[in-house]
Amino acid sequence: MVGPGAVPPVPLGGGMMRRTIKTALAALWLGLGAGMAQAGPVQDLLQAQGALIEESSRRTIGPAIEAIVASGLPRVQPVLQAWQDKALWIDAEGRFWRVIEKDGEEILVDVDTGDEAGPAETDAMEQIKPNSGIRALIGTALVQFQLTDPEPRRRRAALESITRDPEPELLAPLRASIETEEDADLLARKIRLERLLTARFGTDEAERVAAIEALSTDTAVETRAAINPLLASRMVALPEGETPEGNVARELSPGGESLSRAAAYGALVDAGLAPSRPSADEIRAALEVNRADGMVGGVPVETLGDPEARARAYDALAAEGLVAPRVEEADVDAALAAHAFFDIYTEPSEAVTDAARAALTSIGIRVGAMKGVDIGLDALSLASIYFLAAIGLAVTFGVMGVINMAHGEFIMMGAYTAYLVQQIVPDRTLSLIAALPAAFVVTFAAGVAMERLVIRHLYKRPLETLLATFGISIALQQLAKIIFGTQARPLTAPDWLGGAWIVNDVVGISHIRIAIFVLALMFLGFFLFLMKRTRLGLETRSVTQNPGMAASVGIDPGRVNMLTFGLGSGIAGIAGVAIGLYAKVTSEMGADYIVQSFMTVVVGGVGNIWGTLAGAAMIGGLQKGIEVLNPSNTLAAQTWMIVAVIIFIQFRPRGITALRGRAAGD
Amino acid sequence: MTGSFLKRNPSVPVVLGLLLIGTLAITAMAASGGLSTSFVKTLGMTLCLALAALAMDLVWGYAGILSLGNIAFFALGGYMIGMWLMTARTEGIVAESLAGQAIPPTPQEIRDAVGGQIFGVVGSSDFPAIWAFSGSLPAQLALVVLVPSALALVFGWLAFRSRVTGVYLSILTQAMTLALALYLFQNDAGLRGNNGLSGLQNLPGLSGVPQSTVSLWFLWGSALALGLGYLLCAFVVSGKFGAILRGIRDNEARVRFLGYPVEGYKLAVFTLSAAITGIAGALYYPQAGIVNPAEMMPIASIYLAVWVAIGGRGRLYGAVIGAIAVSLISSFFTSGKLPDLDLGPLRLVWVDWWLVMLGFSFVLVTLLAPKGLGGLVDLWTQRRRPARHGADLGPDQGSFREEEAKA
Amino acid sequence: MKTRISTLALTAALGLSAAPAMAQDTACPIKVGVLHSLSGTMAISETTLKDTVLMLVEDQNEKGGLLGCDLEAVVVDPASDWPLFAEKARELLTVHEVDVIFGNWTSVSRKSVLPVIEELNGLLFYPVQYEGEESSKNVFYTGAAPNQQAIPATDYMIEEMGVEKFALLGTDYVYPRTTNNILEAYLKDQGVADADIFVNYTPFGHSDWSKIVSDVVALGADGKKVGVISTINGDANIGFYKELAAQGVSAEDIPVIAFSVGEEELSGLDTSNLVGHLAAWNYFQSAEGEANEAFVAKWKEKMGEERVTNDPMEAHYIGFNMWAQAVEDAGTTDVDAVRAAMYGQTFDNLTGSTAEMLPNHHLTKPVLIGEITEDGQFDILSETDPVPGDAWTDYLPESAVLTSDWQELDCGMYNTQTETCVQTKSNY
Repeated sequence: MVGPGAVPPVPLGGGMMRRTIKTALAALWLGLGAGMAQAGPVQDLLQAQGALIEESSRRTIGPAIEAIVASGLPRVQPVLQAWQDKALWIDAEGRFWRVIEKDGEEILVDVDTGDEAGPAETDAMEQIKPNSGIRALIGTALVQFQLTDPEPRRRRAALESITRDPEPELLAPLRASIETEEDADLLARKIRLERLLTARFGTDEAERVAAIEALSTDTAVETRAAINPLLASRMVALPEGETPEGNVARELSPGGESLSRAAAYGALVDAGLAPSRPSADEIRAALEVNRADGMVGGVPVETLGDPEARARAYDALAAEGLVAPRVEEADVDAALAAHAFFDIYTEPSEAVTDAARAALTSIGIRVGAMKGVDIGLDALSLASIYFLAAIGLAVTFGVMGVINMAHGEFIMMGAYTAYLVQQIVPDRTLSLIAALPAAFVVTFAAGVAMERLVIRHLYKRPLETLLATFGISIALQQLAKIIFGTQARPLTAPDWLGGAWIVNDVVGISHIRIAIFVLALMFLGFFLFLMKRTRLGLETRSVTQNPGMAASVGIDPGRVNMLTFGLGSGIAGIAGVAIGLYAKVTSEMGADYIVQSFMTVVVGGVGNIWGTLAGAAMIGGLQKGIEVLNPSNTLAAQTWMIVAVIIFIQFRPRGITALRGRAAGD
Repeated sequence: MTGSFLKRNPSVPVVLGLLLIGTLAITAMAASGGLSTSFVKTLGMTLCLALAALAMDLVWGYAGILSLGNIAFFALGGYMIGMWLMTARTEGIVAESLAGQAIPPTPQEIRDAVGGQIFGVVGSSDFPAIWAFSGSLPAQLALVVLVPSALALVFGWLAFRSRVTGVYLSILTQAMTLALALYLFQNDAGLRGNNGLSGLQNLPGLSGVPQSTVSLWFLWGSALALGLGYLLCAFVVSGKFGAILRGIRDNEARVRFLGYPVEGYKLAVFTLSAAITGIAGALYYPQAGIVNPAEMMPIASIYLAVWVAIGGRGRLYGAVIGAIAVSLISSFFTSGKLPDLDLGPLRLVWVDWWLVMLGFSFVLVTLLAPKGLGGLVDLWTQRRRPARHGADLGPDQGSFREEEAKA
Repeated sequence: MKTRISTLALTAALGLSAAPAMAQDTACPIKVGVLHSLSGTMAISETTLKDTVLMLVEDQNEKGGLLGCDLEAVVVDPASDWPLFAEKARELLTVHEVDVIFGNWTSVSRKSVLPVIEELNGLLFYPVQYEGEESSKNVFYTGAAPNQQAIPATDYMIEEMGVEKFALLGTDYVYPRTTNNILEAYLKDQGVADADIFVNYTPFGHSDWSKIVSDVVALGADGKKVGVISTINGDANIGFYKELAAQGVSAEDIPVIAFSVGEEELSGLDTSNLVGHLAAWNYFQSAEGEANEAFVAKWKEKMGEERVTNDPMEAHYIGFNMWAQAVEDAGTTDVDAVRAAMYGQTFDNLTGSTAEMLPNHHLTKPVLIGEITEDGQFDILSETDPVPGDAWTDYLPESAVLTSDWQELDCGMYNTQTETCVQTKSNY
């Protein structure tokens, strides 16, 4: 079925003036054009297949596409292309039209002549909406036309269709089109596809083996997708001693890793080589059926709660021939021992399967190494995200010793600021450039306000700072909900940050993650510069080490603390922009990072930016490492990562880079 | 002995008396239909929270350990009793339904059917190993105390031994809670993942007893537990043990130099606190009806601390007052009974703004009333601080601040 | 109390004009409880539903209320806190004495409320697609059961997309877990090998998707067409789709069909890179028809032009109107009478067909497959005839023998093999 069932009535009324005129015009055009539109062979062909086309199901569409292609009509290609692009429509009389857009107007195009036939009244027509499965089939059908199409765009589309759906019959037209290809890129792509198709569907064994061997250093997914099917196999069970027919992959032993005993016995049953085993449920059902006068097989029904009694009763029934006998473990053993199990390749040629196996082994090694690289990149990226989220905290907690549970909410404020800026400045690049300082200013101000109003009074009561800032965190989160609503807000990266840097099919990383990595590096540099090379840094360090002494040499500890806290908060705001771009902007985004951030700082060691860096690297690396071990459960990775961190802290309670001596404080 | 105990803890008779009067009054009102069952349940649960807050005060207010892991002990207590409640109730249902069948069930079939009912929701039907004792009430009751204590013992031993203190310890306990919550979120952990254990308010074998009666039983049970807990805590903090705890809070190094095994004391009080919290959880969740990992997300663990802070830490009745006051006010504001305030451009929806107010009230309490609501009691009893220079040796470094002592 | 209600109902049913005056004193107004989280993690989805119920109540009052009474909505906030759901449900039923409750989103919150509703004989309308495997006498499930969303969507992937290898990605909670269990069993029934099913669970709000998306892409290495069935919930979708777009995974290569991504979730995203990915629901805002246009227009008028409608809202729309009809038919708001009047109740849904309430407390619903479009809406590709909801799935052996029929058998968990009622309460 195609989407809209009923055709909505043509709108009338004052406000719809323009539309009404358009409708009238369209009706006029349809009236005039009716005669000539019906004439063409393509129109007839489409109408003959109309039912299938309208049903629009991949299962049934095959004959329709075949019929259209087989007609050999010259206008088949544009019609198929229109169909694929959802530009084929049916009018109220059941005629097919292509609809194109020209200067914002929708225009009817005759399927036979390709002539424009006036504006389209799409309200009164039905659009054919092929799903992507059908679109792929149409694409495959189009390959033979498009491979030599003058437009490179179409030729590229044909190659994509081949990649998606490699079929044996595409090999010949592909080979034929290589000679005439002028575009260097497309030529390379065609040659490569030709190799892949040859490996899979070639007719000559030597030619296939050569193609496979040539591919044995290629890690692309499509290469593996071409070679792997060659090694498809099925299992057969034979009485011991018989040799299997065909290209044997290996012999399997039941109970081993690749073949469980149950599966092996099941295969014997399926092959009719052994009797099936009645399950506990079947036994129960059989007993229930064969009850008579409170007894089953000579055993009283009320004792059947005992498994042994059940077995006795069933055996008695089996002895009477009423049910199939039970199969004991020993019988299973005997049956398994009396048979051999083999994997047989579907591919008959041994040379091809050998080459394929060798190629896959060599590819597997490369892919393994590249996966390692990819995981490394992922871990690096995760570490830089944690670092970015934690660096503001490294300032407030690490340098000043202030616990700021509202740190996550500063991240959130930064992200919302960026969202607001994007509402005002539509250009995404410009808005991003404007958002970074804006987020800094907003969160800097918020941080300074918070320091002046609350934290200043609690410098000597760290545990209470924790509670007060937690209160602020709750309040800010709820305020954000009240102001921005509970829905996530869209914050979209500019296009140049949207894609990914793809080395090959295994190794790749998205641009936004690279940007976060660069941003993290910049902050590291900025922090080091600030602390080691500026007046403020010097003052901060001195206030941290000994506030009394610092005050007595003329530094105002209040001012320094205020600025440092504002700085830490401002950095969190900028981190918020980055995190919002890469993940989401919601009122709860900060809470997702707060525990990880604290752990990053604590693991790294307080008061040392390199420690924070090491902490982030360790936490990101650990998490990715555990994820590799258990890929189907990301939650487990997070759990064990935290456990690992807790255990780590037992051994290095002051973190990786512990301060020693007086600077360590208590 | 008793006399001196009461003299040192004048709050004990007052608190126990109020508790008794309150419980009697609630029972009378509920019996006469003046109180709804849901409110009785809320009150019963509030008493359990008060018990948990008491245990929190024991470690934080007296020993200076701000444990953000207590909520994990609380939920674990709930899980332990919940395992029995679910198994026993389901066994009853399954036995009844299987008894109607033509052929009596085998023990394996009963177990499979019970497993299917309990774990069907997470797509499994086998009992995980940790449910081994779930059929036995005494065993699970023992586990209510043993599991939280064991966790506290192991974690505390590791942490105290490495001299993790102060803020680090808080963050570490929070990390422990988060790890446990994430672990329990996994279905593989065998405690029904995100769904947790539910239907706990239906007591096995007592399906005929209406919830209005059950809620009163639990109210009395919770009141009794709180009373006993209060006595125990008062006893613990009033003797020599309590004096050393306060010493550790105010200056751990000094106590250590005096020759006391500081780690041992901390470990003992941490474990005791975990055991009490476990019991509180075991009484709380059958009233709440469901326990699941979301109960121990980081925010929940901080709430416990906040109650104690608002009530006034370092005094047992402070914890009780704080927990009762905050949780009752909270349920009042989120009930939707308050009409919205229309302030011109701003529409004050209490359900929305309540959290904002709560958040800022933390700040105000910490800034303006470090003694919390319990400080009001001082005003009432006109208790004065001794004119000791550098007094009010608060729990942290703050005790060194001259200004604070003068304030 | 009960007799007074029925006297009133009688007068109302007889059409006596004196009814409104009398109705003022006792049973009026009819109270409608709204049990949706307005704060906490689930507020993002549930607030919309609260507003929907309020809108429906307003509408009904404009039409003259029910039985001559005005309706009054009682809103409480269970704050995404599961035990609080049970507490608030009890409060609604015993303190506010509501006649019906519309509420809940997550399965765990429903499980938390169930014992209370059953104990106090309340009436709950649950509007969200869920995992099935449950049937309560006191709950009407107006969202989709797995056979009304997951199974048809999987069929669509196999038949229409030609997918041979499946990645089942979900958030780690009960709906994805159970749905994926059912789907795994179903896929194996369809001849998909174990090795061709990849399952992954992530925490709520997960944002680090790069490795998982790479894993899915790598599944294509054996030459089979890969498809993703996503039960990823809420915010986590944003990061997931952003990563899909960044890695350039197109709908043509690896189609993703989602069960929890609707118009609401897409409003937090730029969808230009996601065009062509799919979602399966029983309703899309883009459905054509007058009823839907009126509903969308009213919603936008009330809530703002940028707001969208979604599937659970339609479920409340159907549920609320069916309940109103059942109350009119029964002439009372008494739960048992209304429940009896609910069976066989029909109401036009917003997509052009008619929903019917079945004796197993589920609706008949059409299954719609939509493609994401550039404007954050869905282009409806296929719509089936209404499918009757099935409480117990046919694809898990333990459940296949169970059936639910509250009208004839008065049992929600009836074993058709042994012909006994397993239990009349639901499994929590």
